[in-house]
Amino acid sequence: MRALVIAAVIAVAASGIVSAQGPGSVPRTAEGKPDLTGVWQGGSTQRGTWEEANRGVGVGGSGVDPSAPTVLSSNDRPEGREAAPYQPWAAKRVVEAYNRRGIDDPTGLCLPAGIPRIVMLGLFPQQFVQTRDQIVMLYEYMNVFRVIPFNAKRPDDIIPSYMGNSVAQWEGDTLVIDVIGFNDKTWLAGTGTFHTDALHITERYTRVDRDQINYEVTIEDPNVLTRPWTLRSTLMLREGTRLQEMVCAENNIDPDRYEKLLNEGVKFTRD
Amino acid sequence: MPWRAIRVSLLIPVLMGSSAPLSAHHSFGAEYDVSKPITLTGVVTKVEWTNPHTHFYLDVADAAGKVTNWKFEGYNLAVLYRIGWKKDTTFKPGDRITVSGWQARDGGAWGHSRQITLPDGKKMFFGPPAGTGDGGAAPAVEVP
Repeated sequence: MRALVIAAVIAVAASGIVSAQGPGSVPRTAEGKPDLTGVWQGGSTQRGTWEEANRGVGVGGSGVDPSAPTVLSSNDRPEGREAAPYQPWAAKRVVEAYNRRGIDDPTGLCLPAGIPRIVMLGLFPQQFVQTRDQIVMLYEYMNVFRVIPFNAKRPDDIIPSYMGNSVAQWEGDTLVIDVIGFNDKTWLAGTGTFHTDALHITERYTRVDRDQINYEVTIEDPNVLTRPWTLRSTLMLREGTRLQEMVCAENNIDPDRYEKLLNEGVKFTRD
Repeated sequence: MPWRAIRVSLLIPVLMGSSAPLSAHHSFGAEYDVSKPITLTGVVTKVEWTNPHTHFYLDVADAAGKVTNWKFEGYNLAVLYRIGWKKDTTFKPGDRITVSGWQARDGGAWGHSRQITLPDGKKMFFGPPAGTGDGGAAPAVEVP
């Protein structure tokens, strides 16, 4: 029995799982709050560097290890996720967008992806810079940002925006971000998941160890949903990754491509 | 009104619904046909290292020696960078490569690239898998 235990310990240590990549403790600020500073990848559960964690054949993977887990496209509904609680008329519109294979995706016009889509997508990293008074969230995808004050009163002159107006506060070790002030031009999480400017989002970021933030987001929009819609995901630390420039408007030829398909009557819809 | 303009005016309301903005660049399934896989070998004539997508052009000769210049779409620049592509190094005009991917729905010498076999035999992804961005296996809602 003892020999078995020793063999198991040696095997685990040799695999590098414990010695090199085991969960470390949560870094904390001088005030004792969790420090979320770092570069993160959404939509993944894999520890390690970007290269180590993206070796599969899914979107953005290098394909070096075909058996490695895949990362979903931001438009896909992950297996097991419950259906979005849209009102019947609105659900019909979501399905229509799905059947059109997402050609009316706002990001296709190089517009910001909005929340929570940009937080949960895995293809592009995001960086958090946390100070005593605020947290800055930088997104490589479309090069957008959020500057979020802690414990601040919301201004009374909010303008409609793609990324919304955010205020943050701590509930224990969870950073809770309350977001309103959206326009109605983004998709929430999946093809066609539209909303109105009544959108209210509550995000909860809990850094559970050195490498992982648990992300829970509750979406409310009484104009299109029947009840609050809650999604859960994870953000994984990607040390060594640097956010890159992304000027989407540089060479976005696809609107012209779609216009050509439409002009020529080429069938591409699902139905 | 020219015939072409009439067709557009009839089609757009049917395909687009009411208030949806026209077009997107992330839907594989709208532009490319998964039932038209292609594998072509040729010589790179030009590479566009641009966002939101990269493109490269490939001179491909048929059995009779007639050369066609194909255009292929690939990943965003930052994604290529993170999986190991280096501008003017990994491949460049003049290199003879093989590309596998899928042809555009409207035919022609236009495709979505997936895997490239480089002159030294190394294989690397240049574009995402088929189906990326066109909605996944199921819509976000139950079908009403």
